[in-house]
Amino acid sequence: MKKISFILALIFAAFAVANAGTIKVVTTTTDLKSITELIGGIKVSVSSIATGYQNPHFVDPKPSYIISLSNANMFVTVGLDLETGWSPQLLSSSRNSKIQKGAAGYVDASDGVGLLQVPNSVNRGEGDIHIYGNPHYWLDPLNGKVIARNIADGLERIDPANKVFYETNLHAFFASIDVKMKEWQAKMAPYKGSKIIAYHNEWVYFERRFGLEIVDFMEPKPGIPPSPSQLVKVIKEVKANNIKAIISSPYFTTSSSDVVAKQTGVKELTLATSTGAFPTIKTYLDLFDYNIEQLVAVLK
Amino acid sequence: MKKIHNYHLLYFITPLIFFVLFSGKAFAQVDSTATDSLLLKQIEQQMGNDQKQPPAQQKRSGISTNPDIGVVADFGASYLSTAKRKVDAYLNETEVSFQSVVDPYIRADFFVSFSRDPETHKYGVDVEEGYLTTLSLPYKLQLKAGKFKEALGRINTVHAHALPFIDLPNAYVNYFGEEGLNDEGASISWLLPTKKVYQELIFQATAGNSQSPSFHRGDSAGFTYLAHLKNFFTLNENSTLELGITGITGPNAASGNTNILAGDLTYKWKPVKMNTYKSLTWQSEFFYSNAKYSGTASNSFGLYSFLQYQLAKRWFMTGRYDYAQKPYDKSIVEQAYSVTAGWYATEFQKIELEGKTTNLNVDPGYNQVWLRWIFVIGAHGAHQY
Repeated sequence: MKKISFILALIFAAFAVANAGTIKVVTTTTDLKSITELIGGIKVSVSSIATGYQNPHFVDPKPSYIISLSNANMFVTVGLDLETGWSPQLLSSSRNSKIQKGAAGYVDASDGVGLLQVPNSVNRGEGDIHIYGNPHYWLDPLNGKVIARNIADGLERIDPANKVFYETNLHAFFASIDVKMKEWQAKMAPYKGSKIIAYHNEWVYFERRFGLEIVDFMEPKPGIPPSPSQLVKVIKEVKANNIKAIISSPYFTTSSSDVVAKQTGVKELTLATSTGAFPTIKTYLDLFDYNIEQLVAVLK
Repeated sequence: MKKIHNYHLLYFITPLIFFVLFSGKAFAQVDSTATDSLLLKQIEQQMGNDQKQPPAQQKRSGISTNPDIGVVADFGASYLSTAKRKVDAYLNETEVSFQSVVDPYIRADFFVSFSRDPETHKYGVDVEEGYLTTLSLPYKLQLKAGKFKEALGRINTVHAHALPFIDLPNAYVNYFGEEGLNDEGASISWLLPTKKVYQELIFQATAGNSQSPSFHRGDSAGFTYLAHLKNFFTLNENSTLELGITGITGPNAASGNTNILAGDLTYKWKPVKMNTYKSLTWQSEFFYSNAKYSGTASNSFGLYSFLQYQLAKRWFMTGRYDYAQKPYDKSIVEQAYSVTAGWYATEFQKIELEGKTTNLNVDPGYNQVWLRWIFVIGAHGAHQY
């Protein structure tokens, strides 16, 4: 009996040493994971619930996610009802008071983001609408700075001893966004005002930042699959405006855009909506490198 | 007498209030301890900060503390080959939900059901569920108290509108009735500290106020006790396996005792990338019952197994097999086959059509068809995985 308890004590001790010092962070999406890793560096171990190639509205609340949430020191969410179908349930099942809404370890990355498409009235007859505004705000790199600030604030709340470390990394992140931003805008400048079609209404922040103009969506209403009449409408719009690209995401089928492409010769582009959408996109900054490279190639 | 007494109190309190109000400053000046004057400085500084004008034209918040309210309605039509009134149509059930966090420590969930009695066609109101759940107990414990669907395997905890078929499996109805095991009491659940496998151990004690064919509390008998162990394995990114075991013991209507052992097995395949277009679920539950009815013991067995396949974004097909021995006589056996087609228009609306044929070893069999149209307005929380 003594032997067993000694072995158990050893295991626990080894476990405690292995985990000492690292702050365990669970994020809802991979973009938040990437930014948390850039700010937290070696002080954090981060896992994301959603993958980069998954529709963040429809993540299945698997009980396995509860394990990591129950052991987390910090939880980071995109917020604004993006994850409303799955994250509240996982949070309340986590039995972890440190990461509940209102606790020090709860970070809403959308705090302070200038929101677009905030509705004045709400009616589900308009499809999947977002009552607080369009939640795909991370697709504007400048909003990445706001996200990073919120994450740094969270880390400093729960680990004030390393405040200087986090602030240094935060400012390094700001600087790299600024440098990259100039490069991205220079690449996109010749295509300012280019008209495109999008599958789902998730590009408004990207569109505004890089001067594109989304004329219409493949979905007749957000969340409603493309209908034949919508396809006819889109085909007419593509022809009338000489539109060069339909942009979509990895988690939508291409069958309807294939039809439009066949009829008009428009190019179909599957862009990345999150870090990790494709193997080459390893960080939040890679996300914009990839998307801009793809767009420039088609809009030329 | 009481009034006079109150006046006396007023005569005493009023001068005291005046004294405190007007002498406050004097007291503060007289005070000489360093810590108190430091505190006073802080308070004054704070007061100074508060006097700053708020920014002009602040937006007013439209947020209220009302709970999330949702209404789920279920319009149905049915056909039964052996009934006098073969075809029927009805608003089967209207469920109103109120859900909110109460304070930093607990949350509350209420489901009020307005449902139709299949015999009398009259509508009645019932609290389907109403319970509180703790949010901050230590040691990964979670306590639930109130009226709740008990942690018996898979379908018992799911509200009827969220099931992939319209009728309930025969074995389940034989043991637990159309309402399932849903009773008043307390539940404690513990999340085991395993890292690779999700394991949850639940223990529930219920008062037996809600009747079911297997459990019913008389005047003197005790509570019904349930223990459930849930094991959830992530096989790979796209597929999962859940294995559960449940034991229940409690008094029955025949002043005896019923013991039930139940097991559940669920395999799900849902490709993460295209999870809104394609999925497959294979789910089975078995029930083994040992019941004593006025001294005589009866053992019986039942199971169901279904396979659900998602053909496209909006289309689901479910096939189910039922096997059920009657709890009071295992020589009476029912077997049934059913197929359900579902069209899920949006997250808030679905239409389902089910056909079922039931064979009995003692009586002639029968055929049934159901149609249901389910719609949701207002808030609608996430379903369990």
